[in-house]
Amino acid sequence: MATRVITIIGFACVITALFALEIIGRRRTTRVPTLGEWLGYLMRARAGRAGILLGWLWLGWHYFAR
Amino acid sequence: MAANDVSPSPGRLGHATGAFRLPTRGGRLARKLVIGTGLAVYSWVAASAAPFSRAALLFVLLPGAVLAAIAIWRPPARIRPPDRLDVAGFSYWAICVAALFEWEASAFKDNARTWHPSLTDLINPLITPHPLKSAAILLWLLAGWALVRR
Repeated sequence: MATRVITIIGFACVITALFALEIIGRRRTTRVPTLGEWLGYLMRARAGRAGILLGWLWLGWHYFAR
Repeated sequence: MAANDVSPSPGRLGHATGAFRLPTRGGRLARKLVIGTGLAVYSWVAASAAPFSRAALLFVLLPGAVLAAIAIWRPPARIRPPDRLDVAGFSYWAICVAALFEWEASAFKDNARTWHPSLTDLINPLITPHPLKSAAILLWLLAGWALVRR
């Protein structure tokens, strides 16, 4: 069971880090962008925009249609 | 996702070619309430679809088609992306997202759900209750709208 706990802790660490980055990014003086700014930057190119939107669609299909 | 930096100027960014605008603040609030209620009802109904059913697939594809149509034919005012990002700041996000994918891939590759559950294995039981699944779908719909505006 230990490996299951390690796996879950790994996910928890990464997700916590993502939330931490968002909180840091919302501070006034920071070099870290918010998730929205980061995604917006990636979505400047049409390919990036299409890729991110397809990822969103895949996420919906993966969690809600299956 | 800040909404107060929407550019009102015309062009590809910040150009609301087909956006229907109500003149008053109360009208805008009413429109938001109507849309919000519609999305909540849609999420509630969509959450009742059985997994792997055609209805469940349609409930996911329909918002995708609607958002694609809006993005192509009636693009909303877009939030201007930053012209440049700090390399380190950009990398922090890239590293975290890559780590999430890598951890997911390693759990998936291991193919031992009990010992190495994937994120899907962990999230699916959480969104099994109907209200929680509805909330998750609503969140997904709002995320899609936020992405179209980016």
